[in-house]
Amino acid sequence: MAELGRAALVVTLGLSVYALVAGAAAARRNRRRLASSARNALLCSFASTLVAAAVLAAALVRHDFSFVYVAQHTDRSLRTAYALSAFWGGQEGSLLLWLLVLTGYGSLAVYLNRRLLRDLTAWVVPVLAGIGAFFAFVLVAVSSPFDTQTAPLDGAGLVASLQNPYMVAHPPMLYLGYVGLSVPFAFAVASLLSGRTDERWIVATRRWTLVAWTFLGFGQLLGAHWAYVEVGWGGYYAWDPVENAALMPWLAATAFLHSVMIQERKGMLKVWNMVLVALAFELSVLGTFLTRSGVVNSIHSFSQSPIGGWFLAFVVVSSLFSLAVILWRLPLLKARTRLESALSREATFLYNNLLLVALCLTILWGVLFPIVTQLVKGEQRTIGRPYYDFFLRAFGLPLLLLMGIGPLIAWRKTSVRSLMRTLAWPVAVTAACGAALVALGAGSSRPGLIAYTFSAFVLATIVLELVRGTRATGSLFELVARNRRRYGGYVVHAAVVLLAIGVAGSSAYGANVERRLTLGQSMTVDGYTVTNRGVTRRTTSRAVETRAILDVRGRYTGRIEAGSNQFFNPPEGAQEVAIKTSWSRAQDLYVIADELHPKTQVVYVQVLVKPLVNLIWVAGIVFLLGSAVALWPDAREQRRLAARLAPARA
Amino acid sequence: MPTRSPARLVVALAVAGVLAVFLLYTAIAGSSTPTLTPSQVNPQTTGKLSVVGIVLAPLHGDSHSARGLRFALKDPTGSKPGRVDVVYHGTTPPPLFKVGRSVVVTGTLRGGRLAGTDILTKCPSKYTAAPTKA
Repeated sequence: MAELGRAALVVTLGLSVYALVAGAAAARRNRRRLASSARNALLCSFASTLVAAAVLAAALVRHDFSFVYVAQHTDRSLRTAYALSAFWGGQEGSLLLWLLVLTGYGSLAVYLNRRLLRDLTAWVVPVLAGIGAFFAFVLVAVSSPFDTQTAPLDGAGLVASLQNPYMVAHPPMLYLGYVGLSVPFAFAVASLLSGRTDERWIVATRRWTLVAWTFLGFGQLLGAHWAYVEVGWGGYYAWDPVENAALMPWLAATAFLHSVMIQERKGMLKVWNMVLVALAFELSVLGTFLTRSGVVNSIHSFSQSPIGGWFLAFVVVSSLFSLAVILWRLPLLKARTRLESALSREATFLYNNLLLVALCLTILWGVLFPIVTQLVKGEQRTIGRPYYDFFLRAFGLPLLLLMGIGPLIAWRKTSVRSLMRTLAWPVAVTAACGAALVALGAGSSRPGLIAYTFSAFVLATIVLELVRGTRATGSLFELVARNRRRYGGYVVHAAVVLLAIGVAGSSAYGANVERRLTLGQSMTVDGYTVTNRGVTRRTTSRAVETRAILDVRGRYTGRIEAGSNQFFNPPEGAQEVAIKTSWSRAQDLYVIADELHPKTQVVYVQVLVKPLVNLIWVAGIVFLLGSAVALWPDAREQRRLAARLAPARA
Repeated sequence: MPTRSPARLVVALAVAGVLAVFLLYTAIAGSSTPTLTPSQVNPQTTGKLSVVGIVLAPLHGDSHSARGLRFALKDPTGSKPGRVDVVYHGTTPPPLFKVGRSVVVTGTLRGGRLAGTDILTKCPSKYTAAPTKA
């Protein structure tokens, strides 16, 4: 079986190299039959990668420990779903998943656009094949999931905290996002190589970008929720390089999704869009380099591996190539129109883009800082949470404000007086909310208060837009159905507002107290009284489970258990926290118990009260809903775009 | 004569502004911490630092007692001889903290011993490198 997997990967490599070379030659010389052959090779590379993936999946399900990869990441006791999730639980499997998604996405994108955008897809094929060839090469020559050994009796197993439904969905979602960014990148580069730099590549890839962006965003929220409920430290985001590696391309893609609207409508920001789409793609690969090379320290123990250098080389080469092609085609990227006023919707989009990119580059600087100081001073220095929190506030709060202003401001130009008139209602609502929040004591945190009031402003503008639109059309459903992209975007904005409120509430207004409790002793935190009723220990087939029995009185009344598990295979510990959600009070009671002593019945209890934290998870659902509305096929919009772009196609 | 778009000016000013904030923050307000491995730690080092290493047996005491949780760290590469003794006081270490685990301890050096105030335990490995083949 392993031979079949290896052979399938070699075939993928061969097909990708052929599609790269033949596709580039065909596109350059305008040879249609050769181009068709290269396209078929790309489609076949998906089939051969699928064979390799099926071989690995079968080995995981069958517990075939003659595969080194299977023995390293699973054991016989693992349930089938978790055994399958080990596919992306290790480096070699995750690279194979990357290649599978890339060839799948690429084949579908090329197949769907084969007739409508023939001149563009002729160049898309070699670009995607080039990326695929790199991943296939790494899997064949550097890091193969098909290495074999004499099968041991059992495998090393999967760490208990990874045996969680979130970890079944979170990594593949991120990969669908990371890899999805290759499609708009390939179309952008193809438009430059072909010299057809009109808006067609943007129209062709809008949904691909949106899908990739949605997966990347939702995947990160799933990871955050997993960290919150499973890892047991009371937080959900630690600004770790690995987490930042997913956030950076998402921010770049967010900027791109906004700025393409300006190019579509006004023919502006053409160079900027090329830079953004290349940045989003390169950051998704750079993240892999950072997390796999071991050059930066991360709480995610991504060990040093031989693929780091290859990924660095790929990032450098592809970045230089992208830059060279953009510079080469600069004369073709001139704007059709100019920015007429700094007070216009176009300008607001530009400010939004600058803030998003600034935040993205600030995070990149924080991630690269240890490498830079190592090179300059010979000593790694890291910058921690205060740095990231400072810039999140510095760039995030103005972004939030712009999210409210942007949809209400006129295209081309407006006057301050006109803008004030438009914003009168939202500003009045915001002022009232701000005053109410101060009266309720939210003034204890200035960033929290600003985030809340700005959020109220954005929500007020969204409601105003919906009310105005519904009055004009007579039906909210009709309004949304007529312009799904716009109103889907508003729903996503509402999700960002919920996220901002959740983050501000849980970080700025929470409580966190740790105490040593003897039997019968109590502690009081923010209206909750927690009493130690003893420590128990029991042994199950999987672990030794130690629990503190705690009685809670106050806003929640009842008995909870918190403690830790010491698993047998692999021999790892895991925190088992108690989380009680009060939806009516919109807060979580989060209890961590450690250093549990069954003999003395003494326990250290950490009680965290986290207001509004659940809005972050609700935001994830709203985010998905908004993306679905924006993605939903809209025949009217397609007709509009087809009519507008028809001259360009001629 | 057509008027020039203010877009370039806005972009240039924004980039310059961001760079200025970077410089200001990292030069004045930035509180970066050196991250060293045990073999790089010099007993004369002063100020806050982070040490990345693997926890050595045995573990003594607990983080809440007066004497603290006591353990040693060795170099994560295993090929260098460095070793740093740690005394940790503070909140309970993360659940994955144990002998053999790769951790990051932040604190200050006192008499050649790291007085730790924060421990980060690396998440369960999902991407460990394959063992070296014989």
